[in-house]
Amino acid sequence: MTEQSEWLRQQIDQLAGQQEKFTERAFWLALKKVTAEQERRSDQLSGEVDGRTWRPDHW
Amino acid sequence: MTTLVLVSHPQLADSTSQQFLKESLPSTGVKWEHIEGQQALDVDQEQAQLRQADRIIFQFPLYWYAAPAGLKTWEDTVLTRTFVYGDHRYPLAGKELGIVVTTGMPQQAFQRGGAEGLTLDAVLAPLAALAHRARMTWLPVFPIYQFGYLEEPEKLQLVIDYQRYLTQRQPDSLANRQDWFAQQLPGMVAHLPAEQQATGKLIASVFDQNREQLDQLTDTLAMIKEQEDD
Repeated sequence: MTEQSEWLRQQIDQLAGQQEKFTERAFWLALKKVTAEQERRSDQLSGEVDGRTWRPDHW
Repeated sequence: MTTLVLVSHPQLADSTSQQFLKESLPSTGVKWEHIEGQQALDVDQEQAQLRQADRIIFQFPLYWYAAPAGLKTWEDTVLTRTFVYGDHRYPLAGKELGIVVTTGMPQQAFQRGGAEGLTLDAVLAPLAALAHRARMTWLPVFPIYQFGYLEEPEKLQLVIDYQRYLTQRQPDSLANRQDWFAQQLPGMVAHLPAEQQATGKLIASVFDQNREQLDQLTDTLAMIKEQEDD
């Protein structure tokens, strides 16, 4: 986990904790989950870009 | 997009899960109706609201491997042969049909070898056949197993998963999920108290950046793959 994603998670947790309405707390916490998914997918895609670019057989 | 939620439950006021779902409804774009709450079914009115909806949801508890009798009565009364397919106009064609079903048994019961011995898809086959006949698009079922045993984090997640099932574009891919959150975010941020607005906006901007970064990576990868094909 990068520093920024850790920071983002804390911000969202804090904001969610301040919401009195259950459905609003739910929204921010669900958003946190999607941001984690974004990061995971981003890592995977970067990895795939690296992997596909590194092709010694094409040198 | 307009979603019509048709709830079938003989004692709605006594159902904690149905009350929870009602409280969780998105604030816009959804019309909600309790089938058993109608004095008499107004066929024209029911058919008119079906025509207007883009997505239709049947929502009910599972009673003996079927929907409550109220939904069957509604089907037999409202879904006349002429309306659904008889005159070859197919007014429901292209609309999506989704099922929100609550069960008293856990998820693992609904499989071959499980306590119930059959899958929910198998249980709901008659409704899927109806969607097929009406030329509708059948959405993956949205099951809620043993609502009474859900802990708070699961209930929080359920609120948003349910809202997305009602209003998010299908399939439920990361891209469509991101789009849904991006649509909701401005309204949610605007709704925050003044002292929380800055944090809300910051979170929204990081979310947007993440989204753009993902789009760029996807494009780059597509380009690399294209070159590999050459």
